[in-house]
Amino acid sequence: MSAPAKHPEISRELVGEPYTLDEAEAHAYAAAIERPATRHPRPSIHSDPEAARKAGFRAPIAAGEQSYALVANFLVDLFGVRFLRGGRLEAVFLKPVFYGQRLTVHARVSARGESATELEVWVEDEDRDRVLTGKASLPAAEHDEPEFS
Amino acid sequence: MNEDERLPMCPENLREGMKLGPIFYVVMPEQVEAFARATANTNPLYTSPSERIAPPTMRLQDYGLLIAAHFRSGSGGIHAKHRSEFYEPMRVGQTVRTDGRITRTWSKRGKFYFELEYEARDAETEELLVRHAMTAVLLHEGARQ
Repeated sequence: MSAPAKHPEISRELVGEPYTLDEAEAHAYAAAIERPATRHPRPSIHSDPEAARKAGFRAPIAAGEQSYALVANFLVDLFGVRFLRGGRLEAVFLKPVFYGQRLTVHARVSARGESATELEVWVEDEDRDRVLTGKASLPAAEHDEPEFS
Repeated sequence: MNEDERLPMCPENLREGMKLGPIFYVVMPEQVEAFARATANTNPLYTSPSERIAPPTMRLQDYGLLIAAHFRSGSGGIHAKHRSEFYEPMRVGQTVRTDGRITRTWSKRGKFYFELEYEARDAETEELLVRHAMTAVLLHEGARQ
């Protein structure tokens, strides 16, 4: 991602680096969070092909929060800790995402007021279909503080 | 709640106002590393040896732990929507308490939906760190979505 302007104009689209969903890393992360295990693991649509098939998917699907995490991380990359103090993010998951797919985060400043900056955010797959769409906001930058970190 | 007391995960047992949790955990550096690898993110905020913070959605899946603490069996669900409010970054070494509540349930076109709101606070100071709300479609055994 190239360095954005200090105060980008509204409607300028910001694009993150393409990211390929790695199944092994996703499972390693899930295992780390659940350690120690608090439940008996049951077949999951995110890891078990049969469970995924029964739910109507051709293969295990990545958890929606992986796409969501890409957006949140992108906003922290752009705005730094400022996004984590008063920032908001909301999103709808539009279509399932499979391991091995390549995703790209997009953001566009839709409004910049005295108190907050608002953005439209979305994630596209390698076919440029949107898999997630939403909006974000964060407190406006302090006087002379760069909009972006 | 031990496993013998957990309720089967089904629409009849998901009730508006139902409280889930609390769960407690310490934000561990290896979790930050695992999450950073899983999301291919190398932001120095997550790797700095001093004042190291967790990526913003590293503990988003706390909703799964809240559900698992109260419910058993079932076929899981499909995450449909999510929203987050960030107040303070989580820090490595911080002890966190997460509480949740089923805020809404409804049926539409033969599918059962529920919304679960949950928030994470510093377990010692009760400072609010992040508030989430997730909406999911409950999967039925053998159903095609």
